[in-house]
Amino acid sequence: MKRAHQKAHLRIWFILGPPLLGIIYFAVNLRPDTPVNDILPANLSTEAE
Amino acid sequence: MSHDYKLVTWTPFKKRFDLWLLAGIALYLTVFILVSSVNLPADESYTPIQLILRATGTLAFLLLTFTLCIGPLARLTPRFKPFLYNRRHLGVATFLIALIHSGLVLLWYHGFSETNPLVSILISNPRYDSLAGFPFESLGFVALIILFLMAATSHDFWNANLGPGLWKAIHMGVYFAYGLLVAHIALGAIQFERHPLYIYALLLSAITVSGLHVLTSLIGLRASARLEKDGWIMVAAVKDMSDSRAKIIHPNSGEAIAVFRSGAEISAVSNVCRHQGGPLGEGRIVDGCITCPWHGFQYRMRDGRSPEPFTEKIATYATRVSDRTVYVHPTPNPPGTDQAPTVIED
Repeated sequence: MKRAHQKAHLRIWFILGPPLLGIIYFAVNLRPDTPVNDILPANLSTEAE
Repeated sequence: MSHDYKLVTWTPFKKRFDLWLLAGIALYLTVFILVSSVNLPADESYTPIQLILRATGTLAFLLLTFTLCIGPLARLTPRFKPFLYNRRHLGVATFLIALIHSGLVLLWYHGFSETNPLVSILISNPRYDSLAGFPFESLGFVALIILFLMAATSHDFWNANLGPGLWKAIHMGVYFAYGLLVAHIALGAIQFERHPLYIYALLLSAITVSGLHVLTSLIGLRASARLEKDGWIMVAAVKDMSDSRAKIIHPNSGEAIAVFRSGAEISAVSNVCRHQGGPLGEGRIVDGCITCPWHGFQYRMRDGRSPEPFTEKIATYATRVSDRTVYVHPTPNPPGTDQAPTVIED
C-alpha cells in the first residue's frame, strides 16, 4: 500500500471516527423512554398497515 | 493484468467462497426472522415484510462492517488474507442485500403514496433541521447510491480505464457511505427499537472499524527503518525469513519495500502492486512469482516484471546478506530492472 494512501486512511478515520461516535452518543440520549416509530410519516405507516 | 480484463476469474476457491457466503446469508436471514418472531414483546407485532426489512438491514450493515475490517485485519494477521482476496464479492453482496432492504422500504412505507416513492423518501419527512426527527431514510438512500457506484465499477474493466489512482479514490467513498449508514441507524432504528443489542452492535461496529483503520495506519507509518551507517536497511535475521514470504520495510522516505525469500535467494521489490496498490509483501511466491494477496497479480522476483503476456513492472532493490542478516538498499531501481537475487550461503 502506498505511503500516501496510508496517510489518507489515517486522516479519513481521524476525521470520521469522532463524529460517528458522537452521533451514536446523541442518538442514544435522544431515544424516547418508550421508543415509538413516529419518525416515519404517520399517514404512510397507517396506509401501509 | 493489463492484457485483458479477465484476470480475476472464477477460480474454484472463489466459487467455494461465494457458496459459503450465500449459505451464510441464507442462514442469517432465517435465524434472524425466526428468533425475532419468537422474541417479540407481547404488545408488538410485525408483518413478515417488516421482519425481512430488519433482517436485510442488519445483515447489510454487518457485511459492510466486516468488509471494512478485512484490510486492517489482514495486515495484523494472515488468517484474513483469503477474505482480502474476495473482498469485492463481499462488497457486491452488501450492495445487493442493501438494495433488497431499500426496495422493501420503498414498497412498504412509500409505495402506497401518490407521490413517486423515490421522491417520497426525500420529502415525506421534511424535518431536516431536527436531529431527533431527522429523515434518516434519506441518509440510507444516499449511502445506497454510493454502494451502487462501487458495485457497478468493481470490475477490472473500470480499474483499467479509470486508472488505479482514480478508481481507488472513488472506492474510498465506501467510508462516507459507512458514516451515512451509522447515522441512518442511529437516527432510525436506535430511536424505535427497544432491544439494546442494536445500540451495542452499532457502537461496537463504529469503534472497531475506526480503531482498526487508525491502528494499522499508524503501525504502517511508524514502523521505524533501522538504517545502517552505509545506507543499507537491516531487514531480519536469515532464520526469521520464512520461505516464499516477505518482510515489509518502511524506509524513512519513499514507498515500502517487500523483501522476499525464495529458497536460498533473497530479492526485494516495491511493496505496491501496480493493479490497485495492494501490499505485495503480504502475498507469497506462487509458481516462482510474487503474487499480490488482493487479486493475484504476479511479478518475477529478480526483475519485478509480470510474466508474459502481461506488461506491468515494479521497482526492484539491491539486497545483501551479511553475518546471517538480510539487508536492503532503499534506493529503488527503475521499474523492471534486473537485479540478481542475493544467495544465502550455508
